[in-house]
Amino acid sequence: MSASLIGRRLSPLLACIGLLCIWQAAALVLKTDSFPTALEAIRAIPSILGDHEALLNILDSLRRMVIGLVLAALVSIPLGLMMGRSRAIASFFNPLLMVVYPVPKAALMPVIMLWLGVGDVSKTLVIFLGVSIPIIYHSFQGAKAVEEKMLWSGAAMGLSAPQRMFRIVLPAALPEILTGCRTGLVLALITMVTSEMIARQNGAGNILFNALDMAQYETVFAMIIIIGAMGIVLDAAFEKLRARLVRWSEPDVDIPVSFS
Amino acid sequence: MSVVPLRPGVQTEPSSGHAQPVAMIEIDHVSQMFETSGRRSHLALSDISLTIEDGAFVSILGPSGCGKSTLLYIVGGFVTPTAGRAKVKGRAITGPGPDRGPVFQEFALFPWKNVLGNVMYGLRQQGVKRGEAEAQSRRLIEMVGLKGYESFYPKELSGGMKQRVAIARTLAYHPEVLLMDEPFGALDAHTRTRLQNDLLNIWERDRKTVLFVTHSVDEAVFLSDKVVVMTRSPGRIKQIVDIDLPRPRRRADLLLDPHYQKYVVDIEKLIDDVLEDELHP
Amino acid sequence: MNARVVSTDIVLGILPIALLVALWQALVTFGYAPVSLLPPPGLVFARLAQQLVSSGYLHDIAATLFRLFAGFGIAVILGVTIGLAAAVSPGINAVVRPVVRVLAPLPKVALYPAMLLLLGFDHASKITLVAADALFPILLSTYYGASMVEQKLIWSAMAAGTPRSQVLFKVVLPAALPSILTGCRIGLVISCIVVFLAEMITSSDGLGHVLVAAARTFQTVDMFVPLITISLLGLILNGLLHGLRTYLLRGFPEV
Repeated sequence: MSASLIGRRLSPLLACIGLLCIWQAAALVLKTDSFPTALEAIRAIPSILGDHEALLNILDSLRRMVIGLVLAALVSIPLGLMMGRSRAIASFFNPLLMVVYPVPKAALMPVIMLWLGVGDVSKTLVIFLGVSIPIIYHSFQGAKAVEEKMLWSGAAMGLSAPQRMFRIVLPAALPEILTGCRTGLVLALITMVTSEMIARQNGAGNILFNALDMAQYETVFAMIIIIGAMGIVLDAAFEKLRARLVRWSEPDVDIPVSFS
Repeated sequence: MSVVPLRPGVQTEPSSGHAQPVAMIEIDHVSQMFETSGRRSHLALSDISLTIEDGAFVSILGPSGCGKSTLLYIVGGFVTPTAGRAKVKGRAITGPGPDRGPVFQEFALFPWKNVLGNVMYGLRQQGVKRGEAEAQSRRLIEMVGLKGYESFYPKELSGGMKQRVAIARTLAYHPEVLLMDEPFGALDAHTRTRLQNDLLNIWERDRKTVLFVTHSVDEAVFLSDKVVVMTRSPGRIKQIVDIDLPRPRRRADLLLDPHYQKYVVDIEKLIDDVLEDELHP
Repeated sequence: MNARVVSTDIVLGILPIALLVALWQALVTFGYAPVSLLPPPGLVFARLAQQLVSSGYLHDIAATLFRLFAGFGIAVILGVTIGLAAAVSPGINAVVRPVVRVLAPLPKVALYPAMLLLLGFDHASKITLVAADALFPILLSTYYGASMVEQKLIWSAMAAGTPRSQVLFKVVLPAALPSILTGCRIGLVISCIVVFLAEMITSSDGLGHVLVAAARTFQTVDMFVPLITISLLGLILNGLLHGLRTYLLRGFPEV
């Protein structure tokens, strides 16, 4: 058992190494200037992270991402839970969400920039919009699946409607809510990078595309590794937290759906 | 279909050239271990030997967790025993085959096929032409009392109707053995009684061999020629009871029959003993 | 559910959209937002109607749709194939699981520059990005759908004479269909979003490019039009997929 457990822990690491090896081999075969090998890209990472300004840029991106995500969770979870418990609220919001869903939130960047400028507010707002829908959707599903009889028992014990929402619906829907938050986390990173690619002021996405424009290909690929690693590490960390919070529930899927 | 009508329990009169009762299923020192999560293994079946004659209706009865379904899955070829082996008509069982048709408590109907499609599935799989398969299936659907429901999907049927479809689907490919895994366990009492009656009527027509897993003593006695009572952890055969009641059986007559009542009471006592032994070994 | 409840639902559902448009109109009418920043809805919808019959704009829509369908199609084929293979073969599973675990949370847009460098600035890089993003939800829901297929369904089919080699197509695939289609639905919305973004980042045609071109010249009306168009396209495609789903899953219990 312990051997297989170690195998499980190590297998993503092995997968990373395997993917980097494939990259290395492909680059060596193709031999184009615009496609550096994995080793060359990795060698360029320290110089980016050593550059004070670049590091600040990346940290700025992360800060906006976290603020956007937390704000979205604070608004979306209650909204989703209420939609799950009230048919009227659900039919009020559902069509609006369906209309908004296929619109790329990062594409609102140019419009929002016109109104609010290119500062933190615009970028955080875009991230907020980008992650809201999956969190609302999962909270909605979670609350809808709560067993009616559990609420009857709660009512019989004398819990008021808000108490039932907070003490029964919220914990019962928590596994589903956290699945939504996990999707939201990856989505926040995507929206962050994309909005910075479009706004081109600062941040990780901007470094990436400036390097592309200036044909600094090692930097481009090094930034890809950095952003990719951010995604993988943040997701793994959140998964640890999630598993701890909902130990009582069924084991969840251990691979995230990156973009729903 | 080679059908040899046999007297339940005792076989005295040789018929149709069979000097001896034919063993349809032989279970030979079968044991089954399961790995459980905590790295401990659990002995579900321990050294089971059992012979089932052609045309017999045999029930396996026991408390939940005694491995009775596992035994049925081994005969079905769905599960390979850890030790020992099972044979059907003298051939070792290596996997599922159309000679042994299962009917599950969960119905296990194909949700993407309608009633006709479900019943036809096995025939088409055997290479029967569409027209012929459809005609045969329609007759079977009528036989199980679902004429008019051919184009319904399983989700549109009640539990009892679903189980009728499942029985028809299995009968369609003419298995020699019916393997029934608590088939009426998920149905309400009235539906269960009706299906028991209908099953007996169908069985009395062609006398297929039936291996029937149940936890209802009453159901086992009513239907069977033999009742195999099992213990649990590990699953062993406690006793085999021959049910020597005349056929065809009518439920209303049987309920008043002292022989029937005695079988039920005796087997209830056996089960009580099994549970008692677990508590005070 | 009776007709009355349905119609109440529709009224309730249209309400917030109507309110939003009314608020938009009010902001312009009462002068809270200058027309240069927020054009009135009437102007935007008139422009949309005008654009929908202009050949240039239709060409942009066609370019977007082509990339969207190509990328989504590749994602469906790869996702369903790999997902099924990982569900039925332990060997493939051992390779696919860790690779997917690493690649799924990776923000695929970050790979877009690499795709541009390797595949050029034309269709190929955009289609690849769409496929890469839509792939994982489809792959994962296929995998979970196929792993969750009830054992007794497979046993029933095998007892009826289905050879092992056919169980995958005759039982596992149809039984996993509800889950696969759920994955496709998510993948389709993602495809809409990603194709638009890719066109915004680098393109010479397509709806995303229309938005960026309008933004460069501060044509606010023309910025809103492609956004509304992609929303409508998403709704239509989603509706078509829903119709297909209802047809294919007519036998399955409602989820």
